[in-house]
Amino acid sequence: MFRGLFLFEIKFRLKQISTYVYFALWFSMAFFAVSVRDFGPDDQGGKVFVNSPYNLSLLMVWLTTFGLVFMPAIFGMSILRDFEQDTYQFFFTTPIKKRDYLGGRLLGSLVITVLIFSGIIFGLIAGKFMPWADQASLAPINLWFHVQPFLLFSITEIIFAGALFFMVGALTRNIVFIYAQSLVFLAALLILQLLMSSIPEGLAAFIDPLGISSFQYVSRYWTIAEKNTMTIPFAGVMAWNRLLWLGVGALATAVAFLGFPFSAETLIRYARKSSVEGAKEKAPPAFKPAAIAVKQRFDSRATLAQLLALTRIHIISIVKEVPFIIIALIGVLVVLIGGWNAGRIFDTPVYPVTYLMADMIKSLSLLFLVVITMFYAGELVWKVRGIKYDQIHDALPIPGWINVASHLVVLTIVQVVLIAMLMLSGVAMQALKGYFNFELSIYFKELFLIELAALIQLSIFALFLHTLAPNKFLGHTLLIGIVIAQVAIAEYGFESRLYQFGETPDYTYSDMNGYGHFVKPTVWFTLYWLAFHGVVGVVTVMATRRGTSLDLRSRLKRAADRFRFPINAVGIAFAVAFIVIGGYIYHNTRRVNKYEDSDSSRVKQAKYEKQYKKYEGLPQPKITAVDLKVDIFPERRSFAATGVFTLINKTDQPITDLHVIDGNESLKKLSFDRQFKETLADKELGYHIYQFAEPLKPAESLRMDFNVAYENNGFRDGGERPEFAYNGTFFDRGYFPVIGYNRDFELNEDDERSDQGLGPAPDMPSPEDPKARNLSIFSNDSDWIHFKCVVSSSPDQIAIAPGYLQREWIENGRRYFAYDMGDTKIVNHYSFISGRYEVRRDKWNDVSIEVYYDRKHEYNVARMIESTKKGLDYFTTHFGPYQFRQFRILEFPRYRSFAESFPNTIPYSEGIGFIAHASHEDDLDVPFYVTGHELAHQWWGHQVFGAYAQGSSMLIESMAEYSALMVMEKEVGPHNIRKYLRHELDRYLRGRSEERRKEQPISRVQREPYVWYHKGSLVMYALKDYIGEERLNAALRKYLEKVKFQEAPYTTSIEFVDAMREATPDELKYIISDLFETITLYDFSAVEATWRKTPENGYVVKIKVSAKKLRADGLGAEKEIWIDDMVDIGVFAGAGKNEKALFLAKRRIAQPEMEFEVTVDRLPARAGIDPYNKLIDRNPDDNIVFMSGGQRRLSHTGGFRSEPASQQ
Amino acid sequence: MRLKISNLSKTYPNGVKALKNLSLDISTGLFGLLGPNGAGKSSLMRTIATLQEADEGRIFLDDLDVLKNKEDVRRILGYLPQEFGVYPKMSALDLLDHVAIMKGVVNRGERKDLVEGLLRQTNLYDVRKKKLGGYSGGMKQRFGIAMALIGDPKLIIVDEPTAGLDPTERNRFLNLLASIGENGIVILSTHIVADVRELCARMAIIHQGEVLAEGNPQSAIDAINGMVWKKVIAKEELEGYMSSHKTLSTHLIAGKTEIRVFSEDQPDASFQPVEADLEDVYFLKINHGAQNGANQS
Repeated sequence: MFRGLFLFEIKFRLKQISTYVYFALWFSMAFFAVSVRDFGPDDQGGKVFVNSPYNLSLLMVWLTTFGLVFMPAIFGMSILRDFEQDTYQFFFTTPIKKRDYLGGRLLGSLVITVLIFSGIIFGLIAGKFMPWADQASLAPINLWFHVQPFLLFSITEIIFAGALFFMVGALTRNIVFIYAQSLVFLAALLILQLLMSSIPEGLAAFIDPLGISSFQYVSRYWTIAEKNTMTIPFAGVMAWNRLLWLGVGALATAVAFLGFPFSAETLIRYARKSSVEGAKEKAPPAFKPAAIAVKQRFDSRATLAQLLALTRIHIISIVKEVPFIIIALIGVLVVLIGGWNAGRIFDTPVYPVTYLMADMIKSLSLLFLVVITMFYAGELVWKVRGIKYDQIHDALPIPGWINVASHLVVLTIVQVVLIAMLMLSGVAMQALKGYFNFELSIYFKELFLIELAALIQLSIFALFLHTLAPNKFLGHTLLIGIVIAQVAIAEYGFESRLYQFGETPDYTYSDMNGYGHFVKPTVWFTLYWLAFHGVVGVVTVMATRRGTSLDLRSRLKRAADRFRFPINAVGIAFAVAFIVIGGYIYHNTRRVNKYEDSDSSRVKQAKYEKQYKKYEGLPQPKITAVDLKVDIFPERRSFAATGVFTLINKTDQPITDLHVIDGNESLKKLSFDRQFKETLADKELGYHIYQFAEPLKPAESLRMDFNVAYENNGFRDGGERPEFAYNGTFFDRGYFPVIGYNRDFELNEDDERSDQGLGPAPDMPSPEDPKARNLSIFSNDSDWIHFKCVVSSSPDQIAIAPGYLQREWIENGRRYFAYDMGDTKIVNHYSFISGRYEVRRDKWNDVSIEVYYDRKHEYNVARMIESTKKGLDYFTTHFGPYQFRQFRILEFPRYRSFAESFPNTIPYSEGIGFIAHASHEDDLDVPFYVTGHELAHQWWGHQVFGAYAQGSSMLIESMAEYSALMVMEKEVGPHNIRKYLRHELDRYLRGRSEERRKEQPISRVQREPYVWYHKGSLVMYALKDYIGEERLNAALRKYLEKVKFQEAPYTTSIEFVDAMREATPDELKYIISDLFETITLYDFSAVEATWRKTPENGYVVKIKVSAKKLRADGLGAEKEIWIDDMVDIGVFAGAGKNEKALFLAKRRIAQPEMEFEVTVDRLPARAGIDPYNKLIDRNPDDNIVFMSGGQRRLSHTGGFRSEPASQQ
Repeated sequence: MRLKISNLSKTYPNGVKALKNLSLDISTGLFGLLGPNGAGKSSLMRTIATLQEADEGRIFLDDLDVLKNKEDVRRILGYLPQEFGVYPKMSALDLLDHVAIMKGVVNRGERKDLVEGLLRQTNLYDVRKKKLGGYSGGMKQRFGIAMALIGDPKLIIVDEPTAGLDPTERNRFLNLLASIGENGIVILSTHIVADVRELCARMAIIHQGEVLAEGNPQSAIDAINGMVWKKVIAKEELEGYMSSHKTLSTHLIAGKTEIRVFSEDQPDASFQPVEADLEDVYFLKINHGAQNGANQS
């Protein structure tokens, strides 16, 4: 019987069209992911194959997750079918065993689901063989790489989730529950992923039922080479995770078997529990129709009453039929969990300011609200037909549009209620975190204007599709299909919001600038799409089903009949509004402004390179002095400037042609103090060549006068310039002329380059290349400059530029500031800032410290000043004098999230640091650290910089990192610097995992920020640890004194590394090569540690460690090398905050397995090798073990460990 | 009031001809529409009830063009479809109140009285607060008629209301129907002859989309009285009798088969005369066409 039921289930499913639809869906998603580059996973610039085992696993994980949403339909329905079709009495009165019945249904569903999901494998393989597939990004088919992740992720999840859905189906036997399961499941997934992101990664990897966290955790440090060759091993945390959830699946199955009542009697009683006994009725009284005289009216008041009554009945039926309250509560839960983490910066929590909360609520709830809207739209449209009330309803004397209107009202009410609940949870979360500046108006605008407008559009569209579709299933399918297609269309480069359905240009709320210039595009685009959906709504009204003639001809005829006043007037009004607003938007975004999608700037960059690369390296004069007069008009988001550059021919040959680059189309006028003519004026690419009648002789100077201006008129279809804001203007020399072909404008990404027909990006010049030493890493048109300027702005704003303030005055209703750098030379790197600021001033010796901040963001200003003072202390003591008399920090809007060091001037984004709230001991102190980093740039960057060559970024960024780390170490102590080192290590290892070209050793770093920042901190700190702070700083000081303010030829990383080598004692010289010149990694682990008491009341600690040393190439392929290194061995007492190092010293490690004995004077708790993670180790968690003494020899490994599998 | 249906035709997209050039003239009072399943009764009812279009023909209710002015028709219409559902979790009180608003009874007090009155009259007052999902078939039908009666409709259409009801319920429902239909037109469609016989002063028999007979039930019976004969036969003889006589119906009586045939004269001595009833008229029309039918009266 089991066999029969099993085969019945399979055959039944094979006859269902939906089976094939699902299969085709999975097949095609996998198929396109492999065959079309833009759909597929990230190939890291072509380095990781799209069908590499890593990417195949990634696709499998996500496609399976997506597929789970559809699984209740298969598993739940397999049981429910008998109850829906009343065949259950047949089944349960025949001699079938419960085991066979449930077992057959479950196993049949499992097999069918596996078959459906196997579409993924077929799609992945088929995609590879398409003629249009990019074979360069695809590896040859390896069947195991396709099957292994399917087994590991898809099948285990089908079993686990299937059993769960089956259980719910078996226990409830109610269509609504089955149906709502998908929703609840989706919400659960959202919550889960949130939870996963807020608990330690290792734990998340263990408990994530979807395996997403497990996959990410296990592979988080995988390099390109590993991604191309390794599958996720069924071992360690991954294996435990899978076993855990298979266990849960088994449990669910058991519950289903035990809890399913297998007798018709019980089941029938269950189904009929609420019937009303009608036997004891009295005979009806005679009917007198005229007895009750009522007045019927069909005026507007009646219409309104009808609308309200319909709305009410829909709401009652929705609230009563679907566990709406559960859904709402889940939404609240999502927000509460999400709110806990809202807006972390690095690993630091921030104040839960309202815009972050609103952002968080929106991003977390959007999918949720979309699904609910889609779900209820289907329910509303199909409800009366579903319960067969349609004929009565349709013959009622109500206007046709009232149905659509009431559906829309209901959806809107549902949305408003949910959004309001979410908002309240957001407010509650803020209060819970002790933040009471609720700013309800931001919540209101974000949620009830912007988000609700989008949801209303979705409601209309969903109603429209369900009205057209012949059944609910198809309605939902169409809707989902269109949503997906829209994403796909955007991927394909159709980005304009004029046809990206319902889209409005991205915007960012800023505490400084409010909604600022985003108001106009947001409002107009929203109105545009509302008008469009108004038309859709009218069409929906015309197409509404009424009565029983539902063939196309009758429906068209009815639709035509309905196009009568006032419906037609409303429709035409919406259509006209749509066209007029569209025209206005078109005018603004295409005529007043140039429309640029993500492709057009790449095309421009490529064209620039193709046409003008030939001029690279041409002898050009260098800028030596800059004198500017800049007028900022914040209210118009514009500026205009006149300026004078003094240029000197520092080459040994005469120069006839001057090449001027105008990168932002801001150049208006240009002239020289000698006769010239413009021989090339390429406005599009901003390339100009001026020819002098008389060449500029070596050492001769040239005066260049120019006007530049930038206007922001109207609004754009995305891509608003972040530099210009009503409050918080910040732009730099990018808006001023640049001399000579500049490589910085070229495309860097290899795949983008190949799209444009360019070869791979060339390497930067080697530091050994003597020619390279003539150009600075900062700019090829200058070495050091003298700088002065006059900046003006609105009277209520302060305008700042590098230099000492000479004078401030008001003239013609504008506020002027004159700045002069005097004799102090600066790099050719300056910024202009204007905003309504609060100013806090302080002093350190003769240096004035100023922080210009928004009045809402006072939180960390004192901390920034403190960091500045401590930094000035440390840097002047160890590196040399500070060349300026002032240091200024200026907040700018969070449209850009960075802080940048200009001479004595640090624009600092409101998005980083200003709202940081480091309250827990594990939190990183971001404002303090970032300020230290930027201050250190005044030495490393503004006194020293290298040639335009590999490794030069290390001199600037790695040194700033080291400097900030040292100030921090003084602040928190060597024991607590660990968390910073761990953070740096993690970021470095993740960074190299995402490498798109090849990783370089740090002394040859090119464009790899994770190397120059995070590896930079690690290697410099390790060097300090090996040779000592004094020794290292003395060497740095010596190096700095030698090269500071130097002109070409510039210093290089070679020179720097040599200086470090010189400072290193001979026995440690090997570390220089390990740290700087190669990619060297270690794999340390503490195997076991025990202690015993000595008679003198001391403790002898025995530590067993294992150690490996590895060298990696640029793609991350590793090779073990001989180890003979000095490494920390440490013993600790206490735990957590009270942990204390009892012993910490370097020991020689010359064997892969070694044992050490150390005597300490207190009871030890933990011990290990390289406990502070000073060296680069991909498994940093297993360096320390807990220990116990006496007879017992217990050892624990801390955290979860993952081993890369052997190569396939 | 008169409902005049002329030359109504309807062919469904799947090719089924539901109505063939059908004409009827219906005046105030209860009108029975008799026909087997699939005769076109429901198509006709739905067309009158504004739920579907006709391909050809016209329907007028006095001066009101039913096919064109659907909105106006709906205002005076009470319609109980053959198969219908209700919101299962709502109470009778709630849903009836809702329908009353839909029918333009805006005044709250009036509506309350009306709903209560209807519930009493359909004998549902005691269960008015119970969920409709738990109602029995008869209760649901009575609730349906209560919905149809809201607003004192001039045109009431009741499609197969007694199908599936047990005899007690059916009786109760017919009593209910008998008490309405004094002011307006009530059209009752059914395939149960007794329904019509018991209730309607006028009726029409329709089959395959056409009207086979129209008139007063009694005169239709009178027209064939004396031409109906019965005989008890053995089972195996049935086929022979079926082909040689205009068989109206067969019944099993204590294991034997009794046939009733139509014949102007006694077919042979073994046939006994019987009193004709409406069922005989019905079967004669349905099975043997209109040519032998009672004359239209």
